[in-house]
Amino acid sequence: MIMAGYYKECVAMLLAGGSGSRLMPLTEHIAKPAISFGGKYRIIDFTLSNCVHSGIDTVGVLTQYMPMYLHDYIGKGHPWDLDLMNGGVSLLPPYSSGERSDWYSGTANSVYQNRHFIETYKPVYVLVLAGDHVYKMDYSLMLDSHKKRGADCSIAVIDVPKKDASRYGIINTDARDKIVEFEEKPAKPKSSLASMGIYIFNWDSLKEYLELDNRDEQSDKDFGKNVLPAMLAAGLKMFAYRFKGYWKDVGTHESLWEANMDMLVDSTLGMPDWHVLSRSRSRPPHHIGQTGRVKNSLLASDCQISGVVENSILSRGVVVEDAATVRNSIVMSDAVIKRGAVVEYAILDERSVIEAKAVVGQQRESGGKITVVAGSWT
Amino acid sequence: MNVGLCLSDLQPQTFGDGSNHRTASATHFAGHFRLIDFMLSNMVNSGIYTVAIVLGSQYQTLLSHIGAGREWDLNRSVGGVQYFPQYPGGDRRFNDVRDEPIQRALLYLDEVKAENVLVVDGSSAYNIDFREPLLQHVATGADVTAIYVNKPVLEIDRDFTAYCKIERSGRVSEIQSDPPAGEPVNQCMGAYIVKKTVLIRLLSRERSCDMTKFSCQVLAGTLKSLKVIGWEFSGYFARICSLPTFFHYNMDMLDPQNREPLFDFNSRRIHTRVHDSTPTKYGQDADVQNSIVANGCLIEGKIENCVVFRNVKVHAGAVVRNSVLQRETVIGANAELNWIVTDKQVIVSESRTLLGYKTHPVYIERGKIV
Repeated sequence: MIMAGYYKECVAMLLAGGSGSRLMPLTEHIAKPAISFGGKYRIIDFTLSNCVHSGIDTVGVLTQYMPMYLHDYIGKGHPWDLDLMNGGVSLLPPYSSGERSDWYSGTANSVYQNRHFIETYKPVYVLVLAGDHVYKMDYSLMLDSHKKRGADCSIAVIDVPKKDASRYGIINTDARDKIVEFEEKPAKPKSSLASMGIYIFNWDSLKEYLELDNRDEQSDKDFGKNVLPAMLAAGLKMFAYRFKGYWKDVGTHESLWEANMDMLVDSTLGMPDWHVLSRSRSRPPHHIGQTGRVKNSLLASDCQISGVVENSILSRGVVVEDAATVRNSIVMSDAVIKRGAVVEYAILDERSVIEAKAVVGQQRESGGKITVVAGSWT
Repeated sequence: MNVGLCLSDLQPQTFGDGSNHRTASATHFAGHFRLIDFMLSNMVNSGIYTVAIVLGSQYQTLLSHIGAGREWDLNRSVGGVQYFPQYPGGDRRFNDVRDEPIQRALLYLDEVKAENVLVVDGSSAYNIDFREPLLQHVATGADVTAIYVNKPVLEIDRDFTAYCKIERSGRVSEIQSDPPAGEPVNQCMGAYIVKKTVLIRLLSRERSCDMTKFSCQVLAGTLKSLKVIGWEFSGYFARICSLPTFFHYNMDMLDPQNREPLFDFNSRRIHTRVHDSTPTKYGQDADVQNSIVANGCLIEGKIENCVVFRNVKVHAGAVVRNSVLQRETVIGANAELNWIVTDKQVIVSESRTLLGYKTHPVYIERGKIV
């Protein structure tokens, strides 16, 4: 029960409903934000932890695609201290009401359909976040900058290498970082500032433009494509907020693998005091047996290692049997690699089984792609 | 049976250095757990969601660890975990026995709807479904069911171990302390199912009661008048009450034959307070054999036959064998350790050599720098 009269300055809306089709088969049974990451986390942990550490204690999580596991994982939100009587985390799947029942048809539409949820808290600002990025960021600094500049909308941007810029939504600004133009995946980008999909709006302005967007039958109901350009065209004050630090969109097998490997270099992502909070069950520590060998790897609890593990990340409960080898791979919880199998440059999904003496994966040096092995979810 | 009574500990954990940081049930075990985890998990796994805990001395660590009991689902609206600490001397209501923690716990139990009470202490590690002995308890109409394990007593186990004689009828005819070492005897596990009315009568005059007293004095004196029946447990059992037992039973966990039935991940899980440590990182030159390692560690050196708790660092070139490193221990580069137990936050500087022996592991106190 949300009690009236408890107002929040800023409410976060976390978009976690996308289908993540580029990550198939990993997303066959779970939503992308719930995919396991870095040995003991799930991708959404980063965003939820960022919220809590930034002093934002009211988070609506918009879910749609395969939400069962994600709902179960977030639950009442106690691992993130979001199990609050006033505020905390709220799961917001699509719903039916008296006149209509609609799926979320786009990012903007999902927030529009939950405008009443936001309204209960009468916020001044709304922070819109994506649930599928790996990064550590203090949103309170962005909010400070938003207020100081008297903006209607602030968009977090990150400087990407010029050669990669055409893969992103690019934002062109004037000398004072006021936004002058959006370009979606431009062939010839004019700047290298990529949108991180993190927006702060004044709630009054956002409400107005969500209403307008909802009435526009041509619109895809998408923030990037429709709402933000409409605001810019109408002359609202929109600023880019420059973020410096680690940030990665883990939308593809390659980028998911790379981001995991980045954790191996520095699992704190450069911010050791900014803890990533995560729901975890108590399981015993891992055991490395007489024949086990582990080098340059991250291991979570309850693994049983009798083979060789190098340059890899193993989640909870992974078994590597005698004479099996795992190199340069991401192994999710409770996967079993049987005797004599060899796994290289692979992502093994939860509870996947690699049979004895099987060979999985191909050398990356010779141009091989990351191999993904589906898990067992039934 | 839906209620448990956890008696205060035998004594604070003393590892021979005179420093009692924590009560015995808060002692670390198996890299990740505290002993009380086993008893709380056993209770909830057996459907017991009301637990009265009588607190002895040095209980700060225990309270911080259990808190409201969320990790064990013991944060209940009805029942849940209830603490009974000692009142300070000047703040007594009756100025007599009724002010004692044990008496207040009995008063609480009196009001709980239950026929039987599970009486335990928190200094052992085992995994049990208490509903099995309860079935026998109800079927035999016993006043007390004593849970025991038949195994040889190690020399190090002799202190604090009570043992019992069981007649052919199943009745317990004798309970004694100081068992002979080496021979298999029926060791009392410090767990009894007792009719609530009997329990309240037995303890109504006691100012305090730990498990040794409960077994060897309170119960031992009533074996003729009460129907006390034994129930044999056949799983893994470890009681930890001293440095040698702490070392021995932690090292026991390196053997999967001991570890796997104790943690029984598929049916009866052992729960503990979880912390947001990162996974453990193994460096380029890490060399690890037959060891269990908890989360949050950084291992760059060599470890062999070790139990390593959370957030321990073993730097490059260090060699650690046959040792138990408790949380946040740091082993400096090129240091060498064999048969050592470090308490929390011990720092062993670069290139130090520390040697104990199998029968005499050397204990380094909490926070010391070697």
